[in-house]
Amino acid sequence: MAHHANTLPHELDAPAFVDAWRTRALITGAIASVLGIAMGFLAHDDWEHFFRSWLLGFIICFGFCIGGMAMLMVQYLSGGKWGLLIRRSLEAMTRTLPLVFLMFLPVGIFGASLKKLYIWARYPNTEDALRHHLINAEQAHAIAFKKPMLNVVSFWWVSLLCFAIWAVYTFFLNRWSLQRDADTAPNVPYWQTKFENISGFGVLLYSILLTAGAIYWVMSLDPTWYSTVYGLQFLVGQGYGVLALVILTLIGLSKAEPMKTVFRITEQHDLGKLCFAFTMLNIYLAFAAFLIIWSGNSPEEIPWFLDRIRGGWGVIATLDVMFHWLLPFTLLLSRDLKRIKSRLKVVCYIMIFARCWDMFWLIEPNFADARRNLHMSIGILEYCVVPVALIAFWMAYYFTQLKQRPLVATNDPHLAEILEPEHAHA
Amino acid sequence: MATKDVKINDPMRDPVTGENRVIAPGHTLRSVTEKISRIVLTSHTPLGWFGGIMVASGVATLLAICVTWLFLRGVGIWGITQPVAWGFAIINFVWWIGIGHAGTLISAILLLFKQTWRNSINRFAEAMTLFAVVCAGMFPLIHVGRPWLGYWLFPYPNTMNVWPQFRSPLLWDVFAVSTYATISVVFWYIGLVPDFGTMRDRAKSKVGQYIYGMVSLGWRGSVRHWVRYETASLLLAGLATPLVLSVHTVISFDFAVALLPGWHTTIFPPYFVAGAIYSGFAMVITLAVPIRKFYHLEDMITIRHIENMGKVMLTTGLIVAYGYSMEVFMAWYSASHWEYFMMWNRMFGPMGWSYWVLITCNIALPQLLWLRAWRRSPSLMFLMSLIVNTGMWFERFVIVVTSLTRDYLPSSWGTYKATRWDYGTFVGTLGLFTVLFFLFIRFVPMIPMQEIKVLLPQSKVREEAEPLPEAGD
Repeated sequence: MAHHANTLPHELDAPAFVDAWRTRALITGAIASVLGIAMGFLAHDDWEHFFRSWLLGFIICFGFCIGGMAMLMVQYLSGGKWGLLIRRSLEAMTRTLPLVFLMFLPVGIFGASLKKLYIWARYPNTEDALRHHLINAEQAHAIAFKKPMLNVVSFWWVSLLCFAIWAVYTFFLNRWSLQRDADTAPNVPYWQTKFENISGFGVLLYSILLTAGAIYWVMSLDPTWYSTVYGLQFLVGQGYGVLALVILTLIGLSKAEPMKTVFRITEQHDLGKLCFAFTMLNIYLAFAAFLIIWSGNSPEEIPWFLDRIRGGWGVIATLDVMFHWLLPFTLLLSRDLKRIKSRLKVVCYIMIFARCWDMFWLIEPNFADARRNLHMSIGILEYCVVPVALIAFWMAYYFTQLKQRPLVATNDPHLAEILEPEHAHA
Repeated sequence: MATKDVKINDPMRDPVTGENRVIAPGHTLRSVTEKISRIVLTSHTPLGWFGGIMVASGVATLLAICVTWLFLRGVGIWGITQPVAWGFAIINFVWWIGIGHAGTLISAILLLFKQTWRNSINRFAEAMTLFAVVCAGMFPLIHVGRPWLGYWLFPYPNTMNVWPQFRSPLLWDVFAVSTYATISVVFWYIGLVPDFGTMRDRAKSKVGQYIYGMVSLGWRGSVRHWVRYETASLLLAGLATPLVLSVHTVISFDFAVALLPGWHTTIFPPYFVAGAIYSGFAMVITLAVPIRKFYHLEDMITIRHIENMGKVMLTTGLIVAYGYSMEVFMAWYSASHWEYFMMWNRMFGPMGWSYWVLITCNIALPQLLWLRAWRRSPSLMFLMSLIVNTGMWFERFVIVVTSLTRDYLPSSWGTYKATRWDYGTFVGTLGLFTVLFFLFIRFVPMIPMQEIKVLLPQSKVREEAEPLPEAGD
C-alpha cells in the first residue's frame, strides 16, 4: 500500500474562532474583575487578601510566560518534531511579557513598597516589632540577618533586572524566528547554531533568574523559611503548567487548518507522555523535600509544613496531592487517553487548576491570620475571582499574540516529518 | 559564531539538517553484522586486548589482597574512626552507583524519547552499569564488618526476632540497588537476544554455536519474536526509567534524612541524580573513545555521539553547579549559624582543598564543554571525562568527610585520614571493572547490530517491496 505525505495547508494563520476565544476570555476577566473589586471592598481587611490573590494570579501568568520561554529554548536545544509543533504557541506566550510585567507592578508597589505582602518590608526595624509582639523572635532574627537581601530597594532592582533580561530574550527569540521563516534558503545549520547559541545560555540564565524571582516573590513571604530545592520546584512547576496549556491550545486549534493536518496523533501522544514525565518530576521533588523535612523534624523547618497541614489545611494539602499528581498520573497512564483529544483536554484542565491550587497552598499560609487556620471569609473567596481575572486577561492577550503569526514555522527540517503519513512511524 | 556561508561537503554531516550523522554512510545490513560480529567471533584476539586485560587483572588483584586482609583483620585497617565512621567505603559506593546511571538513562530514557543516537552506545553503557553496580554493591557489604552476616539486611523471618529498621534509608538502599541490578541485568540480556541469535548463526566453532545457541533462547527473528522483543523492551524501559531517579534519590536520603549540616538539604535528591548521570556519561566517554579507536568503530560511534554526550554532561554539570550554588546561598540565607559554619568549613577548613578540587573539576573546567570544537574532539572529551569523574569522586569525599569531621559539637570533632588499604580497595575496584569490561567486549557484541540496522536507509518503509535480507545478515 502506498503512503502519501500530507501537504502543508496553504492557510497557516490562526483560525477565526480564536477571536471568539479571546472575547470569551475578556468577558470572563471583566466579570471576575468586578467581583474581585467588590469583594475587596467587602472584605474589610485593608485589601490584604486582594493582593495575596493577585500574587497568585501573577505567579501563574508569569509561569506561562517565562515557562513558555524556557520551553521554547529547550525545544531549540533538543530538536525534534514536538518542538516545531508547539513553537508558535510558546512564542505567543513569551510575547505576553509586557502584560505580565504590568501584573507584577502591583506586587512590587503594594506588596513591597507599600508593605501589604512582605513582612520584611513591613517591619524593617525588627527590635521595635519584636518588642510590640508584631513578630516573633525567629522572624526578627531572620529579617535582621537577611536585610542586605530582603529590602525594598533590592527587591525592585532584582525584579527589574529579571524582567529586563527576559525582555531581551523575548525580543531576539521572536525576531529571529520570523527572520528564519522569511529566509528564502533553508540555511539549516546557520539557524540551528544561532538558536542553540542563544538558548543554551538562555536556559542557564532562566534557571538563575527564576530562582531569584521565586525566592523574592514567594519564598520571602515567610522570611524564616528556606529550602534549597525551592527554585527547582518552581522550574518544574512551570514546565508542568506550560505543557498543559500548550496541549490545550493545540487541541483547540486542531479543529481547523493548519493544525488539523500537522497535529498528528503521534505527536499528541508524545506531548501526553511529556506531561506524564513532568507530573512524575513534580511530585518527585515535592515528596522528596517533604520526606527530608518530615524525617528531620527540626524546629527550624517543620513549622512550614505544619502551617500547611494543621488547622484545616490538611484538606487543601490532600487535594493538592490529588490534583497535582494522583489524578494526572493515573489518567495519563492510559495510552488511549493520551491519544483521544477530548480526554487529554480534561487532564490538562486539571493540571492547570492544580497549579493554582498548589500556589494557594504555598501562598496563603504564610500570613499570620491563615497559618494553621483555614477559615472561610470573603478574603479567602477572593482567591476564586482575582486570579481568574488575571489569568483570563492574560489568556486574551495570549490569543491576540497567537493570531499575529502563522501557526507553523515553515523553515524547519522537521516539517517534512510531521507531514508524513502517521502509520509509517506510529 | 553562526554564519550563513556553511557549505556541507563532509559526508559525516546530514545535508538537510546539518547535524552529524548517527552512523557513517555506506553501511549495509551485511556490513554492520560483519563488522560487529567479527570482533567477537575472530580467532585472532588482538594483542592489545591481552595486554589490557593483564594490566587490569594486576590492578584487580590488589582488590583481592585488600579484601582478604580486611576479612582477616577487620575494618580497623581502614581509616574510619569516630566521627567519620563512613569513609572511603560509602564514597566509593556512591561514586560507582552514580557511574552506572548513564547506562540506564541511555538504554531506557533515551529509548522512550526516541533518540536514535543511543543505538550505538547503549549496549556497552548497560554493561558499564552492571559492572559498576558489582563494584558498588561490594562496598556496603565489606563495610558492615562481618560481611558473612550481610543477609541480615534482608527482611526474612528468623528465630532471632531480628528485623531490619525500615525507617533507615540504608535499608531502602538494599531494595533500591538490588531492584536496579535485577532490572538492569534483564534489560541488558533481553536486548542481547537477537544479537546472540546472529552470533549463533555466524559462529564457526562448535563451542561458539552451542553457547550462543543456548543464550539466544531459540531466537528465530520471526515477526512474533520481534513483536515480543519490542514489547518487552518498552516495558523494561518503562520500569527502568523511574529507577534512574529512585536509586540515587534513595542514596541521597542516606545523607539528607540525617540532621547534619551539609547533609540535611532538600536539593540532594535531584542533584545526586544529576551528578550520577554526569559521572556516568563521563565514564561512557572514557570507555567509548579508546574502544572506537582500537576497534576502528569511528563510523558507528561517531562524533555525533561524542558531541551529544558532551551536551548531556554540560547540562547535568550545570544542574550540579546549580545544586552547589544553592547550598552556598542557602547556607547564608538560612540565617543558621550551623549551616553557615558548615559551608565555611567546607571551603576554608582543614579539608578545604578538596572542595576547590571539586569545584575546579566539576564546574570550572567543564565550562569548556560550551565550545563545539571541544565537544567534537574525542581526545579532549576523553580528557574531560577523566576530570569530571575525579571531581565527582571528590564531591562525595567533601559531602561525607567534611560534614562528619565537624558537626554541631566541637567536643566531638575529629579528622579523617585514609590508609593504604582504603586506596588499595578503591583502585582495585577500578581494576575489577576494567577486567569485566575487557571480557565483555571480547565475548559479547558491544554494539547492538539489530538497533544499528534500524538506522540504515534500507530499513525505511518504502512504497515498493524490496528483497528481504538473507539469514544471518
